Formats: sequence, C-alpha cells, structure tokens
Amino acid sequence: MCAPKNLTNIKICKRCILPVTFPGIKFDDQGICNHCRRQESTAAKAADRKEKYRKRLDQLVKEIENKAPVYDAIMAYSGGKDSSYTLKLIKERYNLRLLALTFDNHFVSPEAMKNIKKVTNVLGIDHICFRPPWQFAKALFILTAREDIFPAPALLRASAICTACIGIVKSLVLKTALEMSIPFVAFGWSPGQAPIQSAILKTNRALIRQNQSALFNAYPTEIKSKMDQYLIPDVYYEKYKDRFPYNIHPLAFFHYDEEHIKNELDELGWQNPCDTDINSSNCLLNAFANYCHLERHQFHPYVWEMANMVRQGEVNRDQAIEKIYTEQNLNMVNYAKKMLEI
Amino acid sequence: MNELKNKIRTFVVENFLFSNNENLEDNTSFLEEGIIDSTGVLELVGFIEEEFAITVEDEELIPENLDSINNVTAYLKSKIN
Repeated sequence: MCAPKNLTNIKICKRCILPVTFPGIKFDDQGICNHCRRQESTAAKAADRKEKYRKRLDQLVKEIENKAPVYDAIMAYSGGKDSSYTLKLIKERYNLRLLALTFDNHFVSPEAMKNIKKVTNVLGIDHICFRPPWQFAKALFILTAREDIFPAPALLRASAICTACIGIVKSLVLKTALEMSIPFVAFGWSPGQAPIQSAILKTNRALIRQNQSALFNAYPTEIKSKMDQYLIPDVYYEKYKDRFPYNIHPLAFFHYDEEHIKNELDELGWQNPCDTDINSSNCLLNAFANYCHLERHQFHPYVWEMANMVRQGEVNRDQAIEKIYTEQNLNMVNYAKKMLEI
Repeated sequence: MNELKNKIRTFVVENFLFSNNENLEDNTSFLEEGIIDSTGVLELVGFIEEEFAITVEDEELIPENLDSINNVTAYLKSKIN
C-alpha cells in the first residue's frame, strides 16, 4: 500500500474547494466548477427553504409526539460533535422521548465513549450500544480497505470503510424503529452530507428494500452470511408496513456553526477528543479510511461534504481547505493497520 | 417527452456516470445497477424539483417513479400535465 499523492498543490475550484481529480468535474474560465454553477439558483432560496423545513418538523412533532408506545425518536448516535448536538437540539427544542443507539465498530475512541456517557446522562436519554464481533468487523474493514465494493456514487461522498459502517448503522436504527414502533429516526448529518430533500422524509419501504438489496449484494459471500442479520429482515416489510418512520436530519435546516455547536456541547461536558483525526470526533479508523480512499481515488472522501458546506456558507473556505488538504495522521493510519493486521 | 428525457439523462450522466453513459439504457434500474445510491436518488429529486418547478411528495418517492430514465420521464409527464 503506497502513500496517497500529495494533494496540496492540486487545482481546486476557486469557490468550493472540489479538486480537479473529482470525477466528472468541469471548470469554467473563471476557475469555478460545474457543481457551484448548477447550485447558484438553489443557493438563493436556501434560507427560505430551511425555514420551511423547520416549520414542517415543528408541525410533524406536534402530530406525532406521545403517540408512540415508548420512544418518539431513535437517534443514530456516534458520540461525535454533530450527533451529540443533534441529540441536544431535538431533546431541548421538542422534549421528545429519545433512544440513542451507538454502533461500536471497535474503533470508537475512548474519549468519544466518555462523551456518549456524559451527553446521554446529562440529557436523561436511554442509550444502547450495539457491537458486532471483532472477527466480523475486522473482515469487513479489511475488505473495504482493499476494495471499492460499493457503487461509484456512494464513494463520491464517503470512503468504502465509512460506507460499510454507515450501511449497518442505518439498518440497525431502522430495524429498531420498526420493532419498537418509533416514528422518527434521527441522524446528525451535517448540512453538506445529504441533500436537504432528505432532511425530513417518510421512509418508503419499496425504496428501502431496493437499497438494502443493493447494499447486501455488494458484499462477497463470506460477509453476506453475517451481514444478513444486521439488515432489515424480509418479513418486516409486510409485518411492519405501517410503522415505517420519518427520517430526520435537523442540522440540514437549523443554524450550523462549529464554534456555536462546541459551545453548546460544553454545557453537557462534551469534550473535543484529542485521539481522533481532524475530520472525526469519534472514530479511530477514520484517518485510515481516508488514506485508503485517497490512495485509490486521489480525492478526499469528505471533500463533497466540505464543498457543499463552503457553498452554503456553513464553513469557512480556509478551514475546509485545512481539513481536506492536510495529510492524514500517519500514527492513526498505522494504528488502524496494526489493529487490522494489514 | 424527448426533451424531458434528455434533461434527465444529461443530469444522471454528468453527476453519477461522469460522462460515461455506454451502459445507460432508458429502462436501466438506477438502484439495481448501482448507478445512483439512496442519497443520489434524493439529489435527482432535488434536480427535478428545481428544473421542472414541481414538488415531489413523500409518497411519490417510489422506484416506479424514480428508478430509471423512463420511470422519471413518465412520472414528470404526469406531474406536469
């Protein structure tokens, strides 16, 4: 495995930071990329659109709260900055009955684990942690470190390792929501991670089924046999057809500012971990995941998210450049390699 | 109809196939063939809402409306009409 090429001198969009190595990108004579140009008209309507989504969630919460048997919402809770803030936001703004679920991939930083305990205790939220056996996690991460098994569009937004992890997280929270009849599934996606159209969305079982099947079929047989138990069982699509929840990711339409978020989290005793890389506040595998992606694709797996946030004015362009065009922490890369015996 | 179809095809090819459209037939399933993932479907929705000034309702987010160029074209035609 060789080191990724140095990307510090690469040509990038003068507005959003997407690099010339990003698949399909085109630059005009002013050095602005086609994605920035295409989104110019939507950017002008962004504030109104966010307001519309805030009102929609307020209304939905009124319609749904206290109708579920035990919990109003389940949160996919990594313990990182964004999911911790989302948990605080929906608890304090809506006072929902929340269940937080953490997927422990065996690389959750010890400091993030402390944060998880502090945040759920201070907010008074029930928490469950789901950990697959190490042998399975190791096989999954070795596979995705070496191969791009997922469709190309998924790899524009995240590394193969992250895509594997997130696929399980999404399935686990949905599965739990169906079993416990929980009407909201919440995620802490940043405003750049997913399109605003998905920020409040009733999950559609036909689409979910097709997505799950595409995810499952991406894996080789030896992983499939174990992966099956983390995905939505076939019988659930009929058995729980009236329980398919709303997915929400409120950071897409509430004020997003890293400093503000960190100040809010200070109140809960959440501390920025010192043991993670610059792009993560919970995962010790992330630097290695980025490294593998950079090596294969020559663009950073967070660059799409960061470019969106720069365009939306949520992140300062210089900060985004620092996050994306700083070399990966080799100590962290080597730590993951040692753990995975690669 | 052809104009609608061409706009959708161009968006999909430029954003998900990176201008390599040799395997994209009008009835190719986006999800089954891994051309678009679940987040990509919503980017496609964002595009058609913006481009054709329509609103895609939650209950319309089904493969029958969005999973191929033909499906999107037929769906859009019914919405615009």
